[in-house]
Amino acid sequence: MKTAIVLVLAALVACASASGCDSLARLKVKGQWSRAYSSGSDRENFVIALWRAFFAQAPEAVSLFSNVGNGDSSSGLFRAHGERVISGLDAAINLLDQPETLKAELDHLQEQHEPRNIPAKYFTVFRTALGNVLPAQLGRCYDKEAWKACFDVIAAGIQGQ
Amino acid sequence: SRIAFGSLSKIAVRRNSLKMFRLAVLLGLVAFCAAKLPIDHCCSAEDRNIVQEQWQTLWKDTESSRVKMAFGRNLLLKLAELNPAVKGLFANVDIDNPTGGKFNAHAFRILNGIDMTINLLKDPEGLDAALDHLADQHAVRSGVTKAQFRSMGAILSDALPRVLDDYNSLSWKSCFKLILTQIASKLSD
Repeated sequence: MKTAIVLVLAALVACASASGCDSLARLKVKGQWSRAYSSGSDRENFVIALWRAFFAQAPEAVSLFSNVGNGDSSSGLFRAHGERVISGLDAAINLLDQPETLKAELDHLQEQHEPRNIPAKYFTVFRTALGNVLPAQLGRCYDKEAWKACFDVIAAGIQGQ
Repeated sequence: SRIAFGSLSKIAVRRNSLKMFRLAVLLGLVAFCAAKLPIDHCCSAEDRNIVQEQWQTLWKDTESSRVKMAFGRNLLLKLAELNPAVKGLFANVDIDNPTGGKFNAHAFRILNGIDMTINLLKDPEGLDAALDHLADQHAVRSGVTKAQFRSMGAILSDALPRVLDDYNSLSWKSCFKLILTQIASKLSD
């Protein structure tokens, strides 16, 4: 009886992890990202919306951006910084299905983030911001679970976990 | 004598207004061409439209990441081939193993940098800040020179029409001149 329960539990765990950021979820996230990220001024508006959603949850986080325009999207300095950060996320998402190159990119992003000592909670805040803005771009196509799982893979890599 | 005086002052006014007109035209041109650059390389609003539209055709597909990587790899390897000193500058991103993860990721980053600047073309203030940051990032790498950026400009002029079906060379050249000149602005020759 006990063995059976353990087996069922093990099967459930296997099932849960298989529905995480597996190879199909990665393809889906890549496809959804390329539509949401867009280009030109649409892209800039998307990026600005993402950062507004971020700072709306964590207004105190502007202090992390004191040398790049304090999170103020009316500043060219911050718009450029916002684009730069999201361009790093774009690289990580696009490389989700190429493990060796993804690893190299995440190592690079980790090196850039390490000296800044960013509290882990801000990665969760950022994930929530994506969860707020992506559905607005993608409508019903937005796959919440796939995004959550794959964003966590990227965030863990950037935090060196 | 009053008449003579009157016509003289009229001529003076005309001369003055002609001068003012010339000055206004000149100021307009300078403002239009972003002041920092020679007037024959404008990268005007319409040039920026054209560049963005033509560039965008490369990224319609989900697999554009592979296009980015291959294109970036091609540009960097060509730069190293034409400028042997460049190879050593990319030693820490493993240029000796150009299909490995490290160099692939770097090639992707370079292309994403170009992609970012092109997508910021209609936000001059944001573009300026982004290019200034890229200039700082290159200024701290000793051995990187303005000449290498001129070489990259030539490589891009050669490569872009080979991947883009529609390629307006004047628009691309003028906008890339602006982009590359500013990124290289903190380097020596």
